[in-house]
Amino acid sequence: MKLHQKAYLLVELNKADSTWDYQLVEKALEEYSVSGSRWVNTFRVALDELAAAGLVDSTEKKLDDGTHVGTDKVLFKYQLTEFGRTRMRETGLL
Amino acid sequence: MTQITLNQALQKHYSRNQRWGFTWAIWVAVLWGAWYVPGTALWFEKPFSDIAADDQAMMLGATAVMTWVHAIAVLFFLLLWNTMLGKVKDYGRTLFRFRKISKWYALASLCGGPMAIFGSYMAMGFIGPVFAAITSLFYPIVGAIIARLWYKEKISSRAALGMVIIIMGGTVIYAPGLFGEVESSNPNMWLGYLGGLMSAIGWGAEGAVAARAMDVSDPDTGIQCRFTFEVLFWGVIILPLIVLFTDLPIADFIVATVTESSAMLWIVLASACHAYSYTAFYKSFSLIGVGRGQAIGNLYAIFALAFIAAFTLQLPEWYFVVGLVFVVAGTFVMFTEPAESVINLRDQQAPA
Repeated sequence: MKLHQKAYLLVELNKADSTWDYQLVEKALEEYSVSGSRWVNTFRVALDELAAAGLVDSTEKKLDDGTHVGTDKVLFKYQLTEFGRTRMRETGLL
Repeated sequence: MTQITLNQALQKHYSRNQRWGFTWAIWVAVLWGAWYVPGTALWFEKPFSDIAADDQAMMLGATAVMTWVHAIAVLFFLLLWNTMLGKVKDYGRTLFRFRKISKWYALASLCGGPMAIFGSYMAMGFIGPVFAAITSLFYPIVGAIIARLWYKEKISSRAALGMVIIIMGGTVIYAPGLFGEVESSNPNMWLGYLGGLMSAIGWGAEGAVAARAMDVSDPDTGIQCRFTFEVLFWGVIILPLIVLFTDLPIADFIVATVTESSAMLWIVLASACHAYSYTAFYKSFSLIGVGRGQAIGNLYAIFALAFIAAFTLQLPEWYFVVGLVFVVAGTFVMFTEPAESVINLRDQQAPA
């Protein structure tokens, strides 16, 4: 069985030092065979929630020139925090 | 065309998240307030209207049946919501991970359902509805304290001030009615106090426990998990235990409820309000935190009285306006927090 979506994002983040949000979203779209701006927003909101909860942290930010999400939207490069790893271990994701 | 800087775009991004968090929390209050209309009307329909007011055992048995049927209908509305969002499969995936993740939703449903709702009905039955309403208003303090101690949720001084003002406003609205309700000669009063305590602790703890689960799962699917467990708790454990250990005609009462169209109409309306109020409740926690989400949700005190006034055509008392000023001021204080305060809701190195 596939992981639920938020867990998938965490597991993918754990595979690299840090990853840009649009790269994570692209992977998630492919993993769950979905497309469209609504799903892009769904995954981006999930990343915002993970950041607010302190499980991930943004290491870099840049303005989108319209290539990924939309002109003048902020793109975040995320990495898992130590607290995020702890939560993943507690919830059987690591 | 004007170009915006990264800092301006970031400010816009965080403000949008903060606004969405508060918008969801205000929807909680509106729908929770609206819920009181069908929730109260239900008691005036058969088979509930046939129960004698002094028949406490039957009243509690009927409440259990009502809560179970209501939870089933809520689950249906949540299924509809997640079908529209395309998240039904994700609900299944989350529910499946019981031992590590969805067990927290099971605990949240125990806190919110059998503890808080049952406690609230005890407070209503043994003291009165005004007392029950006031004690429930204190649940954000419980939620904020648990979230702070358990996983270090940050509560700014401005957010804490807003919470206190909102709770004061709610108390001003209900407190005058309390004087006619508390009778010191009532020997069962302690059960009412216990019930009031259960409702404040239950709802407060539910928010904190659910937010713990939402660290690694989605609020839309999380709320559906929570109601799945509530349906199971009532249907598989509590109601069968009532049937086993009492003479209450629970089965007959279930049949009488679901075959009574007027009662079912109110249950369906109440469930729709409750389902989407709870969805908004959980969604707000992920964006602005348990303390803020619950405090804004407390605005239900205003909306409940406003909706009841609209349906009964009875204007509320003057102190309603005073309470209204308090809660609006409290909300304003919280909303004017800088958007940066919700970027990270936890102190780092939060414990398990």
